[in-house]
Amino acid sequence: MGNSIYSFLLFRALYAPKAAFAKLAGADPAPWRVLFRYALWLLILPPLFSFVGASKFGWRVGAAQPLVMDSNALLLISLGYFFILFFGLVTTALISRWMADTYGANASFGRHVALITIVGEPLAVASMAHLFPDVFFNALVLIPTTIWAMYLLYTGIPLALGIPPERGMLMASSLVGWLLVAAVSLLGISMSLWTLGVGPLLGV
Amino acid sequence: MSALSLHKKIEENTGLLIFGILLVSAIGGLVQILPVLNQKSLEEPTVNTKPYSAIELTGRDIYMREGCSVCHSQQIRPLIAEVERYGPYSRAGEFVYDRPFMWGSKRTGPDLHRIGGKYTDDWHRIHLIDPRTVVPESIMPGYPWLAERAASETGNIVAKMTALRKLGHPYTDAQIAAAESDLEGLMEIDALTAYLQILGTGLDEEIAR
Amino acid sequence: MTSATIAQGHDPLAETGEVYEDAVVIRLIQFSVLWAVVAMTAGVYISAELLWPTIDLGQFWLSFGRLRPLHTNGIIFGFGVSALMATAFYSVQRTSHVRLFSPALAWFCCYAWQLVVLLGGLSLLAGWNTTKEYAELEWPFDIAIAVVWVIFGVVFFGTIARRKIRPIYISNWFYGALIIVIAMLHIVNNLAIPVTVDKSYSLYAGAQDAVVQWWYGHNAVGFLLTGGFLGMMYYFLPKHSGRPIWSYRLSVVAFWAFTYSYIWAGPHHLHYNAIPEWVQSLSVVMSVILLAPSWATMINGIMTVSTAWEKLKTDPALKFIVLSLAFYGLATFEGPMMSFPSVNVVSHFTDWTIGHVHSGALGWNAMITYGTFYFMVPRLVGAPLHSVRLANIHFALALAGTMLYIVAMWGAGVSQGLLWLSVDEIGELSFSFKDVMTSMQPFYALRLIAGLIFLTGTLLMTYNLFKTLAGRQAVVAKAPPVDPAYAINKEVTA
Repeated sequence: MGNSIYSFLLFRALYAPKAAFAKLAGADPAPWRVLFRYALWLLILPPLFSFVGASKFGWRVGAAQPLVMDSNALLLISLGYFFILFFGLVTTALISRWMADTYGANASFGRHVALITIVGEPLAVASMAHLFPDVFFNALVLIPTTIWAMYLLYTGIPLALGIPPERGMLMASSLVGWLLVAAVSLLGISMSLWTLGVGPLLGV
Repeated sequence: MSALSLHKKIEENTGLLIFGILLVSAIGGLVQILPVLNQKSLEEPTVNTKPYSAIELTGRDIYMREGCSVCHSQQIRPLIAEVERYGPYSRAGEFVYDRPFMWGSKRTGPDLHRIGGKYTDDWHRIHLIDPRTVVPESIMPGYPWLAERAASETGNIVAKMTALRKLGHPYTDAQIAAAESDLEGLMEIDALTAYLQILGTGLDEEIAR
Repeated sequence: MTSATIAQGHDPLAETGEVYEDAVVIRLIQFSVLWAVVAMTAGVYISAELLWPTIDLGQFWLSFGRLRPLHTNGIIFGFGVSALMATAFYSVQRTSHVRLFSPALAWFCCYAWQLVVLLGGLSLLAGWNTTKEYAELEWPFDIAIAVVWVIFGVVFFGTIARRKIRPIYISNWFYGALIIVIAMLHIVNNLAIPVTVDKSYSLYAGAQDAVVQWWYGHNAVGFLLTGGFLGMMYYFLPKHSGRPIWSYRLSVVAFWAFTYSYIWAGPHHLHYNAIPEWVQSLSVVMSVILLAPSWATMINGIMTVSTAWEKLKTDPALKFIVLSLAFYGLATFEGPMMSFPSVNVVSHFTDWTIGHVHSGALGWNAMITYGTFYFMVPRLVGAPLHSVRLANIHFALALAGTMLYIVAMWGAGVSQGLLWLSVDEIGELSFSFKDVMTSMQPFYALRLIAGLIFLTGTLLMTYNLFKTLAGRQAVVAKAPPVDPAYAINKEVTA
């Protein structure tokens, strides 16, 4: 396999995901190679875009004035953003690997990392919307992308892991459950941090 | 007898199952709700909290009928920003004559607990008929019919006050006797305005400041 | 005794001769779908009113404050309870191997309930409103509900009492808890002094009323929308996958832990409100504990299908039921999380609450009901589903609509919560209420689109089920012979 799988993933996964999944089905890349040659570049995009957008324009929340933060705080938030994405990718891949046994799929951890990365790739690219930091604009771009990513999850699991569609559907739904819980936990943790004094001032 | 074999008994006997569910689900209510119902401090009114007058009570019933509490809370939490925005935080003693409570669970519009006295009666009347004439961005519905219905037709005010007296609201015979004439000539919009103007005025002036 | 059963090698002695009463199940499904369409349409309409407030056309009965309780009550009592009655009647017969106790009472229960929902809905439009959430109906309806509910209980427990099989199956515990606990909550919370036919005053006042109301409100969600629908899951999931429930022990522990701990969590709806502090703290602790039985049940469900995958065929019914478990997992996790004071301080009074309710109502309740209907209806009339393709489209629409709804309300709720509380360096409020409210419009627009997508899916299902049912009768379904090892009557085994 060598380099071919990575070069295939890096660009063609975006416009030919099914071919990428099919290619992945026959490969078991080393997890760290997928992470550092491929996934890392994608994971850097959203924090980078958000840093540039927020420092240039400030976040706009509807009609109110832009919320401008000093660049030190922004840097910290962007770093946090990156680590959350990194953590999210690795844990989702781990959970996917762990669930795979239950659903009769036997694939290496590297393949799961690659699979989750392909699923998340459109979101990483669409995070370009962060350059224009308006909450509504971002929602408008990222929500359809999220739905596309979920479609990729449902089609990708059976293809890449080589299991029948019905089992793939069950596994994808279980992963959706995990992702929803992870998303809401993130929301809860950031709200707690915020109300306990990290982040912009709140009168609580 | 192991727990599972005890359970075998329960799951093979309809009566035991019914009894078991009732028992297990009732504990929480008995330990948590009953003490609250017996807590007398929750029934003591704050200094200026008085039973609603015939007009205010009618206004409150209109407030209920139109479902205002779906979008407006009446509960100011003891948080800096909230006290700054709305006024002194809400005390239990201010609600002792509220049957039912009107705290709400959603603020599509602002909290109304301290709305009393913040705007003029005229402002309220205009705002209730067509909110967008005074607040162009408002998404509140208009209530034009309130200006066309007599307050006396909202319900049987004497029966209402008598019922509330049975529940312990200290209405005098004179108040109840005068109730109907109090409402005479008033429209529903006047009654609702009167209710809105009394909201949140139950605190001691010292605390209110 | 037919020759067919003998040919299949059943023990003739064990043949029960019971014929299931299924026509009433079909009628309840039809009503349930009807109320789903009506109440969801009302929901879409009021979500549009938040964007264009004048579309109520100055009509009192189209006003937001009156249509909103119609929407919630229509979904819970029209759509939800009709579906629960249908599935309870269907499954209690099959798990007890007997015909319903008194089909006449079951039919009465069916029509009387629809009448209550219909007239109750109209009374809400007329402004008969107690304003207690999910208990808005006035006292005449409260009495009617209590009466029909008792009859529902008589039919249900009567059937169980006549059962031919010794153990009472797990799904029936949940349906039983639904009937008993909801009766208790309904009666206690609605105690009031009637004034006139359209007006009553609550026996409780102020802070005490608030605590009683949320004891009711929280557990109506707990035992009706969670417990009742878990009954649905416990019957239809194993039935569909052809496997027994994954762990019997886990279901026993989870059931009793669930029944015990749910009741305590109500006051977390009143954080920082004027109620005693110990009540608030206790409710947080119990909310967190509640996560364990909630998730244990979910795991039990997922493992039941997961261990049976070699037999599975993906039909739309199973897709809906499995996905509903994912949203159940989300909603039962999100709830305890939102009960934490540090999160609640932001989320309370905002659209996050609305989003949370809908992740349960759309993602869990509606989806598992849809899955169950897609499962039951073809079997009830002995014909294949009119269109599997349409059902698959419905699945995609339901998933997209729910996701969009939840995400839009997360955005709206978090923005509201943070902007309301936000202050500047000298401690002054950063945003006026009006500014925050205006900035919600894009989120409300997204929510309207989400609602329309979800409603479209529901309409597709309505058409699909209508075509499947059209011109067909319930097939005659007989109770199969009872395995002697589980028979209630020892003589038969001997």
